[in-house]
Amino acid sequence: MVLSIFTRFSVIGLLCTLAMLTEYNNLKLAYNLPRLVELSSGKSMRVFYEFMDSFLAHFGDPGEVAQRNGGMTWSIRLMGVPFTDPVAALSVMAKSRRWELGFALGLVLPLGMALVFGRIFCSYLCPASLLFFAIARFRGILGKFLYFPEISLSRGFAWGLLFGGLAGAVWLGHGIWSLALPYFALGQTLFQGIAFGTLSISLGSLIVFSILDLCLGRQFTCRYVCPTGRLLGFIGRKSIISISREATQCLTSCQSCIDVCPMKINPKLDETVDCSLCGECLVICPTNCLSIGLRSRKITYETA
Amino acid sequence: MGAVIPVFFPLLEKLPKNSRFKKFLRPPGAKAEEEFLRDCIGCGQCANVCPNKCITLYGLEGGLENLATPKINARAQGCILCMACTQVCPTAALEKLEPTPEGKQAVAMGTAFVSEDICYSFAGRTCGVCYHACPLPGKAMTLGLYEQPHVHAEFCVGCGLCEQACVHMPQAIRVVPIANLNERLRKKGIPA
Repeated sequence: MVLSIFTRFSVIGLLCTLAMLTEYNNLKLAYNLPRLVELSSGKSMRVFYEFMDSFLAHFGDPGEVAQRNGGMTWSIRLMGVPFTDPVAALSVMAKSRRWELGFALGLVLPLGMALVFGRIFCSYLCPASLLFFAIARFRGILGKFLYFPEISLSRGFAWGLLFGGLAGAVWLGHGIWSLALPYFALGQTLFQGIAFGTLSISLGSLIVFSILDLCLGRQFTCRYVCPTGRLLGFIGRKSIISISREATQCLTSCQSCIDVCPMKINPKLDETVDCSLCGECLVICPTNCLSIGLRSRKITYETA
Repeated sequence: MGAVIPVFFPLLEKLPKNSRFKKFLRPPGAKAEEEFLRDCIGCGQCANVCPNKCITLYGLEGGLENLATPKINARAQGCILCMACTQVCPTAALEKLEPTPEGKQAVAMGTAFVSEDICYSFAGRTCGVCYHACPLPGKAMTLGLYEQPHVHAEFCVGCGLCEQACVHMPQAIRVVPIANLNERLRKKGIPA
């Protein structure tokens, strides 16, 4: 759990760094000399410029490295390697029926990760889920004084959002995903705020998602709204690595893993369809009967 | 059930916005407007690598169809035709171009138009700032008496550096986006 918080913070840090590259590229092309940067933009920009210069120099020529990185969780390039969001790929396929080679290659890692680990993106990489995680804690504290309902929806709601969003993307433009996907909205807000100093409309949708999360249920957006989570859950429903349970050690009366699970799945029934391997149930289990490992054949047949 | 929500997206279209008129340029290498909007996924990578910080992203001011797509406000910051954005576009909504003279000439973002009634040079006060900002001087723009700018539409790529440089307020030279020009031609019945 500590690991998942750390990795998600790293992703947010990465997004901020990428957004700051815009400023750095500008200074690099315009001045290319710390002294000139200080003369034109002030002392603080010089510190920023020198830091980025020395940091990027670890990977090669700073200017070139800066040009090889960019984007958001939606579509990102790290050291020239493209990563594509599966929903972005679906959206492009629905609208223009054609994939660029680099764009298609960017799918390999996200899809491979989903096939092997399931919804691991949701608990280890998604920056928005960190926000919702914090809101869930806040909700827990507020819950001592106020009543918050826990609302359950069917999985069809997120499927509907996915296909409705695809139809909307075909009709209007791919830009509507920046309102409909929490992590894209977060990335867009960070990027616009840091690179241009402007408020993005995506912040509005992020606030809507946060209110949903606070009022309707713990990690409500992740479970029932996010189309990407739904898609990754579907792709990874038979993931190679999953939670497994030793039934002989499991206490019949104990409900702690069901209560703690942010995805509201039931480890006691060996239900691993939406499991994001966050590991909260491993920590809380009194008999340590849960473990993360290769999915055993028996369980595969039971869930299938 | 969730499919009901996107049905309400068109309601956002009813929000007040500045104008339906496309006032902003697209980055260099952009395809025709419909094709561009079909391919652009709004990932912001072009804005991220732009070393000139001229590419910004649309909010709702251009309607939902333009949301998160890149734009260039030429009066604020023109494009220096470094072609960094065309190299990074993941979906080839911006076609790959090289920052060579041939690559620069292949760009079609728009065309500059001079307002001769307010231009200083046409009033007999020698200026010529736009000519000196032009990346294709002598081809896209030539000078006449008192350094009067003459734009040659067949060579002008519409980078917007002249509009950015113009010392008159409001600008005496404006770059009209290629989408607007095509639209205007279509209205007159001339194929683009």
